[in-house]
Amino acid sequence: MSVSDLVAKLTALVGGDVVRSDAVSLQAYSRDATPMFEGLPEVIVAPRNTDEVAKIVKFAHDTKTPIIARGAGSNLCAATVPLNGGIVMSMTKMNQILEVSKSEMIAVVQPGVTNLTLDQLVEKEGLRFVPDPGSRNVSTIGGNVATSAGGLRGLKYGTTRNYILGLEAVLGTGEIIRTGGRLVKDVAGYDVTRLLVGSEGTLAVFTEITVALAPRPEASKYGVAYFEDLAAAAAAVEKIITSGILPATLEFLDNTCLVAVEDFAHLGLDTKAGALLLFGDDGDAISIEQSVSKMAEIAKSSTGCRGVTLAADVAAADALLYARRCSLPALARLSSLSILEDIAVPRNVMAEVVNRIEGIGKKHGLRIGTFGHAGDGNLHPTIVLDKDSPKEVAAAELALAEIFALPLEFGGSITGEHGVGSAKLQYLEAKIGTANMQLQRNIKKVFDPAGILNPGRIGS
Amino acid sequence: MREKFSQDKLDRCISCGYCLPACPTYKLTGNEESSPRGRITLMRAVQNDKLPAIDLLQESSFCLGCRACEPVCPAGVEFGVLLEEMREITWQGKNRPLIVRGLFFIVDSKIGMWTLGLFSPMAKRRSAQSDLHLMYGCFERRLFPSVSRAVAKLAPEVSCSSKQGCCGALHAHNGELEKGKELARQLGEKLPGTILTTAGGCAAHLSSVIGSDRVQEFSQWWVKREIELKPISKKDRKIRVGLQDSCHLRHGMGVFAEPREILKQLGDYVEIPSAADCCGAAGSYALLQKKNSRKVVSQKISEIKALNLDYIATVNPGCTRQLVTELRRARVKTKVIHLAELVAISQK
Repeated sequence: MSVSDLVAKLTALVGGDVVRSDAVSLQAYSRDATPMFEGLPEVIVAPRNTDEVAKIVKFAHDTKTPIIARGAGSNLCAATVPLNGGIVMSMTKMNQILEVSKSEMIAVVQPGVTNLTLDQLVEKEGLRFVPDPGSRNVSTIGGNVATSAGGLRGLKYGTTRNYILGLEAVLGTGEIIRTGGRLVKDVAGYDVTRLLVGSEGTLAVFTEITVALAPRPEASKYGVAYFEDLAAAAAAVEKIITSGILPATLEFLDNTCLVAVEDFAHLGLDTKAGALLLFGDDGDAISIEQSVSKMAEIAKSSTGCRGVTLAADVAAADALLYARRCSLPALARLSSLSILEDIAVPRNVMAEVVNRIEGIGKKHGLRIGTFGHAGDGNLHPTIVLDKDSPKEVAAAELALAEIFALPLEFGGSITGEHGVGSAKLQYLEAKIGTANMQLQRNIKKVFDPAGILNPGRIGS
Repeated sequence: MREKFSQDKLDRCISCGYCLPACPTYKLTGNEESSPRGRITLMRAVQNDKLPAIDLLQESSFCLGCRACEPVCPAGVEFGVLLEEMREITWQGKNRPLIVRGLFFIVDSKIGMWTLGLFSPMAKRRSAQSDLHLMYGCFERRLFPSVSRAVAKLAPEVSCSSKQGCCGALHAHNGELEKGKELARQLGEKLPGTILTTAGGCAAHLSSVIGSDRVQEFSQWWVKREIELKPISKKDRKIRVGLQDSCHLRHGMGVFAEPREILKQLGDYVEIPSAADCCGAAGSYALLQKKNSRKVVSQKISEIKALNLDYIATVNPGCTRQLVTELRRARVKTKVIHLAELVAISQK
C-alpha cells in the first residue's frame, strides 16, 4: 500500500489530528534510546482510546502493515525502532490514571502514564508502585510492561512482572482481550497476563493495565561503601546476602562510572575509589536501622573496603539513588558513543565475571565502565568509545561478543531487564534453546497470525 | 563546508529521553519532534543531510528555548547552544520572523537605542567610584525603567553609563549567533569591570560570552551584600509573595536559591508549584507564538490566582511583561514586580 493511501485510510479511521506523516515527525520517531539502530516509519498515529487502537491494529492486520506500539521510546534494546517502515503507534495520548483503589491496593492505568506519575499519585494514598527502572521519570507503564522493566529494588521486591494483575490488550487481529483482573488469586486459564509481560509489543498492544500497589514503607535508609575494585564490592554483596539480609537496594559502580556520575551530580563521592557500593533498605524504622547497620558492618570488614558512609537524611539518599539512575547517560560525558550491555549472572560468580569484563576491556584497549544491580547479579558493562574511530568500533564488536559469551558460560542471561529487541535477537536462541525458540515462534503466530506486531522481534 | 551543528554537542546526547518530562512543548503535545531529544534527532538528520535544514523551521520556532532540559540531562547536553545554532540555520532571509527583524532594527542602531531610552524615567546617568556598572537592558529601559531606578537607589556605588547598547541575547536567541556574541563583547568593553543586570536572560548570555566572573545578576549580587531586609507589610500583615524564576538564570546559571532567600526576608514566601517552569515569555516567543505562549502560561496563572498572592516577583523583564499581560487578562489582582523594586520598597 502506498504511503498516501496508508495515511488517507488511517485518517478516515481515527481522524487527521492524530495521524502524521511529514518528514520531520517520521525522522523524530526513527530511533529510541538504543545507539546505532535507526529506521524511518511511514506514518505516526497517536490513538486516544482502546477502540481506536483496535481499529488501527485491525487495519494493519488487513493490509499486512507492520505496526510498533511506542511509549516514551526509552528502551535500550531497539525494541521500538521501525526497521521495517510501517506504522508507529504512539501511546502517549492514552495517559490517564483511571482508578486507584486503596482498599484493593491496585491502580488501573492507560499505557501512556509514566512510571513516576503513577507513583507520585498513589503516594498520596500511602501506597507505592514498586518497579522503578532507571528511566522512571520518562518511561511509560505500557513500555515497562512490554519489557518487564527492572530497576533498583529487584532483589527484595521483584520487577514489573510481579506487579501486573490484569491487562486489556489488542491482539494482532484487532480483537480486544482481557486477561487476569483485580485479584491476588486467579488461576482461571493459562496465565496470559504473565506471557504478555515482557513480550515487547510482538503479541498484543496494551490498552489498559491493572497494577498491584504496595504500602509505602514508613522509612528508608541508604549508605555507600567504597572499595578497591568492583570484584571486592561484589564479594561484599555476596557476604551481605548470605548473612541473611534481603535489602531493597544493592547497587554498584566502578571507578569510570563513579567519576562520570560525580561530574553530573556533585555529591562529593570519593572518585579515587575503585568502586562504590550503594546499599539500602526500606520498611519499618527499627528493622531497617538494624539491616542497614549490619550491611555497613559487613562492608567495612570486607576485603578491599576503603570506607563506609551513611546518607544523612532522605534527601541525601534520594540524591544518591537519582545519581545511580543517571549512570548510563552520565557515561555519555566521556565519549561520543556508549554501548551498554545488560547481562545477568548468578550472584556467586559475579566477582569473577566483573574481573573477566575488565580483562576484556584491557585486551581490546577499550574503556568499559561497569555498573549494575549487584544484588540481582545484573551487570551493565558499558563500552565508551569514539564513534569515528574505526579501530575502536571494530574492537568494541569483538569485546561485545566476548561479553555476551560470559552469561552463557556462567549460567546467566543475555539480558536481565532491558529486553531482547533487535539488539540481542541474534543471541536469543543460544540462550533459550532451539525447541523453546520454536515454541516462541508458534506462540507469536497464535497472537498475531499476520505477523504485523513489531515484526522482526522476539518470535518472528 | 562548515558543520551546521557542533558535532561534539550533538554527540553528547544518547537519546535516553530523561529530558522529555521537563519540556513544556512535549508536555503540550506528547510529540517526539517537539521534545529536546526529538529535536536533536532532527538536527542530526540535517547534519547528515537526511533532512533539508529548512525542515527545522517549525520546531526551532515552537521550542521556547527555556533550557529546562539542561539541568535534568545527565549527559550534559548543551541544548541552549544547539537551539541557537538551529535558529541561526533556519531563521534566515525570508524565514526570519518580521517581528524579529523589527526588534533587531531597533536595537542595532544608535538611534533605535536612543529612542528606547528617550523620556524613559530610568536610572540617571552617573559615574561612581566602583567598577560596578548597571546594565539598562534594551527593551527593559523602555518598558520597566523603574527597575534600574530601584537598583540605583539601593546601591550608590553603582555606575550608570549611557554608552551601552544591547547585550546581544536577543540576537543569539533569534538566529544571529555571531552578532549576539559580538554585542556581548562590545558591551563588556564599554562597561569594564563587573556588569550588574536585572535581566536573567541577559545575565546568562553575557556570562556565557565574557565570563561569569564579570557578570552579576541582581539577586546574586544582593545576597552577597548581607543587608538585613525589613519585611513589607500590607494591612498589618506581611505580604504574601511568590516568584517566577527566569529560565536562563535558573537553568543556564544555576541561580534560583538567591531570589528566594531575599523574598523570604521580605514577606511570607509562597512557592508557586510551577515557579521553575517557563512562563511562555521566552524572549520574543510571546510575540511570535502568541497562542502557544498562552497555553504554556495558563496553568501558572491559575496557580497564582489560587494562592491569592499580593506580589509575584520576577527577575527578568520578559517574564514581567508576560505575567502582567496574562494576569490582567485573567483579572487576577496579584501585582507583578521586579525583585529589585520589592527590595527597594522594603528599604524605604
